[in-house]
Amino acid sequence: MKSNKRICVIVPVFNEGKVIRNTLSELLSTPYELIVVDDASKDDTYLKIKDLAIHYLRHEINLGQGAALQTGMGYAVLLNADVVIHFDADGQHRIADLPSLLEPILEGKADVVLGSRFMNGTPGEIPLVRKVLLQHARWINGLLTGLWLSDAHNGLRALNRTAFSKIQLKENGMAHATEILIEVRKHKLKFMEIPVEILYSTYSQSKGQSAWNAFNILSDILLRKFFP
Amino acid sequence: MRPIQYILIPLLILLLIFFERRLKKQFLLKFVFVGVMLAALGFTIFPDTSTSIANYLGIGRGVDLIIYMSIIGLTSCCLLLYLRIVKLERQLTELVREKAIDAARGL
Repeated sequence: MKSNKRICVIVPVFNEGKVIRNTLSELLSTPYELIVVDDASKDDTYLKIKDLAIHYLRHEINLGQGAALQTGMGYAVLLNADVVIHFDADGQHRIADLPSLLEPILEGKADVVLGSRFMNGTPGEIPLVRKVLLQHARWINGLLTGLWLSDAHNGLRALNRTAFSKIQLKENGMAHATEILIEVRKHKLKFMEIPVEILYSTYSQSKGQSAWNAFNILSDILLRKFFP
Repeated sequence: MRPIQYILIPLLILLLIFFERRLKKQFLLKFVFVGVMLAALGFTIFPDTSTSIANYLGIGRGVDLIIYMSIIGLTSCCLLLYLRIVKLERQLTELVREKAIDAARGL
């Protein structure tokens, strides 16, 4: 799919020295620009990627993935980007999913496209605890945001300029995934889900959130709901 | 005078002076804190008043009334501090973000 739109992939990074170069090298094979937001990594992340043709932004203190994505989107506004993609650094997303993620936006059918790992039935390789958690998170998201999706907290998303210039993430932590849905509703953005695959590697699982973090996310969301 | 009064009265007076001096422009907070300290002094000097107020409200002892009020007061303090922290976090985030973006643009 060819397009003359300026498309930026935002990759939030925190201590991903082991895999970041692989993830970024793969992304560099696409025609999209890369905005890497280093959330104050303490490992060799910067040394691994400093020779790559990317936009490199660094937070001086660790703020969280939500804050890193917001920084990336703020920068994309200044770059005059037309579309941004949120893409996790740990190698859990597939580049092969990007064209279908972008398609509804480029065709003007949606402002926000969210990846879902459950649209084509439930894939077998999702760890059971995660599967149960995600099903409950869907319900909580639905009740809190009014958007009923087939997946919750999937990191792969695409947003057009209307969406990423309007959406302002205040949740610095992982609760941003729910906050995005709240913002989508608030700004009456058109959204769509498309099926994507998540690669559950040993690395991405060890780097990923533990199941207990679900409680932190829920309390963040509830606190901010009552004390905006 | 009872021994506890020798301990509580000077402490409360010190706290009273602390709040009076430290909260210069925050009139509402000053009013609340100084008011609470004055009430505490009053209850310390005339211990029976708290009991009669407590009895009037259907609570057995004056101390219990003061414990209930303290719990409400301390919980409110925690919430106020939480909101203050959230505000500081947002300001800090903005600063860190601006700096990161400026550096990337070569400013």
